[in-house]
Amino acid sequence: MRALVLALAAVAAAPAAAGDLAVQVRTANGAGVPNAVVTLYPRGRPAALPAARPAYQIAQRDLQFSPFVLVVPVGGEVSFPNFDDVRHHVYSFSPVRRFELRLYAREQTRSVRFDRPGIVPLGCNIHDNMIAFIDVVDTGFAARTDAAGRANFTAIPGGPVLVRVWHPWLRAPANQLELRAEVPDNGRVAQAVPVNLRPPPRPSRSY
Amino acid sequence: MFARIRTRLAIHYAGLFALALSLVAVALYVVVTTTAERQVRDELVASSTVFDRLLELRTRELGNAAGLLSRDFGFRAAVATGDPGTALSALDNLKARLGLRTAFIVGMDGSVTGLADPRLRADARSLWAALDAGRTSGIVRLGGVPHHVVAAPIMAPTLVGWVVFANDLGPAQMRRLEQLSAIPINARVLLRGRGEAWSSEGATAGFVAARIGDNAPARLDDPSGTAIALVKPLGALGDDNAALLLRYPLALAMAPYLPLQIAMALTALLGLVLVVFGSWRLSLTLTRPISALEQAAQRMEEGETVAVTVATRDEIGRLAQSFNRMAAGIAEREKRITQLAFNDSLTGLPNRAFFRQHLDLELKQAERRGGRALALLCVDLDNFKAVNDTLGHPAGDELLRAVAARLGANVGDAMVARLGGDEFTIILSHRDAHEAAGAIAGRLIAALAEPFEVNGHELTAGASVGIAMAPGDAADADTLLKHADLALYQAKDEGGGTYRFFEAEMNARAQARHQLEADLRRAIGHGEFELYFQPLFDLETNRIGSFEALIRWNHPSRGLVAPDEFIPLAEETGLIVPIGAWVIQEACRQAVKWPEDVRVAVNVSSVQFRRPGLANVLIQALAASGLDPRRLEVEITESIFLESSEALIAVLHSLRAMGIRIALDDFGTGYSSLSYLQSFPFDKIKIDRSFIQQLLSRAGSTAIVRAITDLARALGMETTAEGVENPEQLAELRLHGCSSVQGYLFSRPVNAAGVAEALATANPERDVA
Repeated sequence: MRALVLALAAVAAAPAAAGDLAVQVRTANGAGVPNAVVTLYPRGRPAALPAARPAYQIAQRDLQFSPFVLVVPVGGEVSFPNFDDVRHHVYSFSPVRRFELRLYAREQTRSVRFDRPGIVPLGCNIHDNMIAFIDVVDTGFAARTDAAGRANFTAIPGGPVLVRVWHPWLRAPANQLELRAEVPDNGRVAQAVPVNLRPPPRPSRSY
Repeated sequence: MFARIRTRLAIHYAGLFALALSLVAVALYVVVTTTAERQVRDELVASSTVFDRLLELRTRELGNAAGLLSRDFGFRAAVATGDPGTALSALDNLKARLGLRTAFIVGMDGSVTGLADPRLRADARSLWAALDAGRTSGIVRLGGVPHHVVAAPIMAPTLVGWVVFANDLGPAQMRRLEQLSAIPINARVLLRGRGEAWSSEGATAGFVAARIGDNAPARLDDPSGTAIALVKPLGALGDDNAALLLRYPLALAMAPYLPLQIAMALTALLGLVLVVFGSWRLSLTLTRPISALEQAAQRMEEGETVAVTVATRDEIGRLAQSFNRMAAGIAEREKRITQLAFNDSLTGLPNRAFFRQHLDLELKQAERRGGRALALLCVDLDNFKAVNDTLGHPAGDELLRAVAARLGANVGDAMVARLGGDEFTIILSHRDAHEAAGAIAGRLIAALAEPFEVNGHELTAGASVGIAMAPGDAADADTLLKHADLALYQAKDEGGGTYRFFEAEMNARAQARHQLEADLRRAIGHGEFELYFQPLFDLETNRIGSFEALIRWNHPSRGLVAPDEFIPLAEETGLIVPIGAWVIQEACRQAVKWPEDVRVAVNVSSVQFRRPGLANVLIQALAASGLDPRRLEVEITESIFLESSEALIAVLHSLRAMGIRIALDDFGTGYSSLSYLQSFPFDKIKIDRSFIQQLLSRAGSTAIVRAITDLARALGMETTAEGVENPEQLAELRLHGCSSVQGYLFSRPVNAAGVAEALATANPERDVA
């Protein structure tokens, strides 16, 4: 639903020389990989975070988290509304932010603030099949790929940029990889990021 | 192959039985092993299935436990938040609950929690790849021991690690599996790393490598023996290959059949003993009569007369009967052959060969008995030759048969044999053989002096007997027979009709004769003979009318030997023939030198007349010397008429035809018969000196001499008186008209040189002429 590109820092400070970067994350056979988080570090440094703090949300609906992947800037607060008829027990053992939302019922909303960058896997202690990820980012250029695996960035200062791609099933250390791109001073450049995905775990395996 | 049928039978039967038993044993063994093997194979397959099920069951059990644990929130929290103490306590809790020996946690980064042993930890760390690949159960080597491992991922909510439960499959655990099987299977889980063998034991390693996957039991020969084994691949977790080896020793499989095999072996052994014993007994009954036959055949070979006892009525019994018949037949034939070989076919008496054998035997026995004497009697008929000559051989044979019968009837149990001709021998073994031999000889001579009736003729055989004693006279058969013969000659020499015991002098005489004979033979070649001549004085002309040639022998060592000493021997041996021929030649050679009206007279023996060639000798002597045959006069004695024949008369006539004069010597002695004078017209009759010497002393002699001279004159024959020694005799002879005289009164015999002298004295006018 809200899975569109967020151009977080575009408006704030448009430098004199800035270009656009179109990243596509795709598998070896060319299929676009959705739900990958692409973060850009122009000249290796994080871009300034937007001042505005919108409401971030991961809903529990139909015994699933939604969205599956959520990008949140450091300091962002995420609410966990329950739309199901059953209770959920949302937890995270992530060192980034450890929390536990014990057995709250429908229409109850709990919020959690994320102050440190990193990946926060979310689970439900009652429903093993429920899983979601929050990527707490520290740069202004961060986007989640769409269904075609695309993430478009505008007004990026020209010059070298560090592109970091993360996906929960990405076959790489810490499930992320980095690459360097050159952003032109003016114009648009496309950057394809080929990735190799693990099959998603099937926690509902029973013995 | 075997010298005895008995052994052969026993061995063959035992061999056959053993063969049959072996076949049964082999069949039994094959059936037993096949059955046992099939049983073992079935059991192995079943056991492997059981093992699978057990493993599966255990996997599920552990998996459930691991799954539960991995989902425990507290546990997950402990693992995810890096609280190993809590996590381990939870692990220990579950281990105790499930009776697990080993449980640990493998983290996403390969870290291992829950294992103290570094070896185990290293092994556990190597599981990461397989776990990361999503595999959760299998066989793993932990600390060198195969383990059944089940893992469950720890989702918090993403995968943070695995909880791993391991159950060791070492010997102790496998024993439990083995106990589930109906037969005592030996089960082992084998692991093979990359480049490793399945087992350090070569046979097992090879077997597993070859058989893995075919899931069928097969034979495995390893150092612990032959076994039936089954290999089953097991899923391994990690790089190793795993296999289950189920093994069942064949010896154990065969063990239940051991009593059966022992029983079989014992039965076979007992059977073998029985068969050997039985066939031995059977062959004994078979071969005993055969052995008896064999021994009998050997005895028969050695000359015994044998018969075997027929005990049975089977083939062997019939063989024994046939053998007995054969043995009897051989004995019978042998007897006949012996009879033919050792018996004289004419008389049925033992022949010379048998006699010799028997004599040898008797001599040996006499020697053994020591001192018991043996007498050998040689019997010879006195008149057999005359019978044969006058009545023919059939009559002679008839006479011999009759003599044989009469001998047999008079010698008791002594053996009578016929050596040939009319020569018989008797061997007498008696305690006092000498006396007995004399008695028997006397009895035999008396018996054979009795006339025989042969072909209607009444014949008197008459016999002489020579006796030699053993061992006194001789110890060996040859000498004994020779001595008996010598004694026989002695008896014959003494006129026959008597018996003589051998005496040593006979032997000496015989030897002297032998010597003389040898000397005679030599003398002929060496010219040791010389002729002397005695003049015959013609009473009408008062001159020497002829000389009688007389032989002298100048023996090199004995000197002069008188004719009386050697002429009889020469006649006996036939040497008279060459000697007589020499006399004739020498006389002719000498006489041709004399005046033509002087004749020469030579004595010719009857032996010379009997041999062919006398006429030739005379002709050759006359031809060689050139002597007028009318100057040669042959003197013969009456004795030649004893064997008179037409042939003799013919010879005399042929000599006469040649011109040779024939004179009858020694007339009036012996068997003088007037019929002789009729049978041949002699030129001269020489009156024997015995009449002349008694002419004046005995009245009858004068009459006889006158009768002879008258008879001769009447027959146209001259007369010569021999042995005239004195003038009275001469006067008397003149009176009776005797033609000529011979004797010492006129001249002794003189040598060739003396002839001329005698002629010069007696016929002087010739000498002058």
